[in-house]
Amino acid sequence: MVYSMPVILEAKEVGKTYRMGKVQVSALRGITLEVEKGEFLAIFGPSGSGKSTLLHVLGGLDRPDKGNVFIDGINLSTLNDAKLAEVRLRKIGFVFQFFNLLPRLTALRNVELPLTLADVSEKESIQKATDILELVGLKDRINHRPTELSGGEQQRVAIARALINDPKIVLADEPTGNLDTTTGWEIVRLMKRLNEEKGQTFVIVTHDQSVAETANRMIYLKDGVVHGVKKGSGSVRL
Amino acid sequence: MRRKQILTMAWANMKQRRLRTSLTTLGVVIGITAVIGLASLGEGFRVTVTQRMEQGFELNVLTIIPGSLFAGLSRERFNDEHVQSISEINGIEIATQVMQIGNVTLHKGDKEVRAFVATAVNFTEFVQVFSDRFEFASVNGSPEQWKNNTIVIGYKVNHPNDTEIPFASAGNNVSMTYLKKMEQVLTPSGVKTTPIYETRNFTVSGTLQKKGTSGLTNFDYWIFIPLDTAREIYGPPYESDLIFVKVSNPDDSDRISENIEALFPPYRISILAPVTFIRQVDYILSLIQLFLTSIASISLLVAGIGIMNITTVSVMERTREIGIMKAIGAKNTTILTMFLAETALIGLLGGLIGVPTGYGLSYLLSIIISRFTMGQQQGTVFQNPETQHPMVTPIFSPTWAIGAMLFGIIICVLFGLYPARKAAKLNPVEALRYE
Repeated sequence: MVYSMPVILEAKEVGKTYRMGKVQVSALRGITLEVEKGEFLAIFGPSGSGKSTLLHVLGGLDRPDKGNVFIDGINLSTLNDAKLAEVRLRKIGFVFQFFNLLPRLTALRNVELPLTLADVSEKESIQKATDILELVGLKDRINHRPTELSGGEQQRVAIARALINDPKIVLADEPTGNLDTTTGWEIVRLMKRLNEEKGQTFVIVTHDQSVAETANRMIYLKDGVVHGVKKGSGSVRL
Repeated sequence: MRRKQILTMAWANMKQRRLRTSLTTLGVVIGITAVIGLASLGEGFRVTVTQRMEQGFELNVLTIIPGSLFAGLSRERFNDEHVQSISEINGIEIATQVMQIGNVTLHKGDKEVRAFVATAVNFTEFVQVFSDRFEFASVNGSPEQWKNNTIVIGYKVNHPNDTEIPFASAGNNVSMTYLKKMEQVLTPSGVKTTPIYETRNFTVSGTLQKKGTSGLTNFDYWIFIPLDTAREIYGPPYESDLIFVKVSNPDDSDRISENIEALFPPYRISILAPVTFIRQVDYILSLIQLFLTSIASISLLVAGIGIMNITTVSVMERTREIGIMKAIGAKNTTILTMFLAETALIGLLGGLIGVPTGYGLSYLLSIIISRFTMGQQQGTVFQNPETQHPMVTPIFSPTWAIGAMLFGIIICVLFGLYPARKAAKLNPVEALRYE
């Protein structure tokens, strides 16, 4: 395969060490990877392999101890906290295993929140949030609060929220991990559809090999080291 | 972040925890109530006292007395030249000198009354200075017509022990016994000083109505004779004891006092200016008001600690939410603002409720004070002249109201700052993991 698409996310020799009580735990040991625009990349590995830590570091939510992360050509380690938050706001969309919606806000307000942070006018942001909720199939649920939504619906809201600022890349941490198999596959299909139809770049972290197989490319992570890269099927089994 | 959205979210959070918000706000309400209550009452007290003093004093009359409090009361005497140069000072309408004669007795037939002091005045000038105070019970002609050997008698002198029937009325003839001089006589036991008394006949040209104390003097106890008569009795040098000055504008008192003082050697005279005196009292009362209000504002600090406590709890409870906000791109300052918006809203709410209740409290206090002191404080400045009830009406001052509200909000924000900063500095990954 000829790499013709530009690289939008790049990690170079990224290392991260945690201190758990008195023990030093090396979560990441020199990881180098590139994500191309429009790619659907899966980071796959057993629990404790450092997948989530890697995702946090890639998304500017956490800072690596070693190495550098570049998003859209910007070296994240040169940024202060405020600038890093700006990058998360404008260039990254996060999707989490436990949805992480704000319980007091309706689906619409949850999706709209990043636009609120970006100082977009209320009228414009509500229109945009409504459109995106429609895109993820929640047109008639926009005024429900998270507690009134099923797990699958909540994850759709979370995906809508991740997409609202037109991010360069969406980072999903075990997006199916808290859903039953059927619903989980619905979410995977939704992400694949967004990837194919809109060219949205995705990086998903999963310990479920069948989910990882749907990606264009799989990175196998173990003990904080990349143990292998292979091409995925790129398609979802029905 | 959109400001409106920050406030909306803050309000939603406060509504979510209604009881907690109410109790925290109550603390602020109590603080603001105490501040406004005492400030309004203090303001009312200050204004009432000042007004009553202004009514009691002739604001436009300055009194020049010999000597100075710090250099001793010297027997500085005033003469015609002094009066002349003082009258020429800009802003002075008239200056008049007064001579005082101690211990006099008036006789009419077999009746006798005593006066503490007889005051020798230029009637035409004197009545001009104290125009409000000369109300006659009986009078012959007008002050300009009164010649030598006429006399005006104050109410208490004319009615000793408040008798119904006056000692004398206009047109009566009376005689006055007064101290002429102290004579030194050589006796076998040494030099002895003997008072020499003299008696002189006067025609009563007027008797005064009861007026009571006004400022520093009470004419009820005074009798007045013409200055010319006194000069005739005592001969030259023609000197006097006091000078009264009437100024056109009481607010010029300071400048005029300085101009008068400049005419005399240092520390030889003192000038009593009611405006200056009232200003001092007003200043002291403002300080007392400020002091009381400062004590009341301590309760606001207590409320502030309540805010700090509740915000700390709130930050812990919402750790995960803070993590989410940060993950989707909220800056530290945004998180900080979100929490401070809540504490500021509590401060605002506390102020909006506390200001009216504080004003109500000051009314309640003024009623309680008036009930407790009724009939005790006779003749003080706190009495309503008609009802004789002590009366201080609280005064609502917008400055105090706005000041108290701002102070409340500032306290709330300041005390919220510490927990809000802790929230802002949370590590997003750890915050997201928080259960």
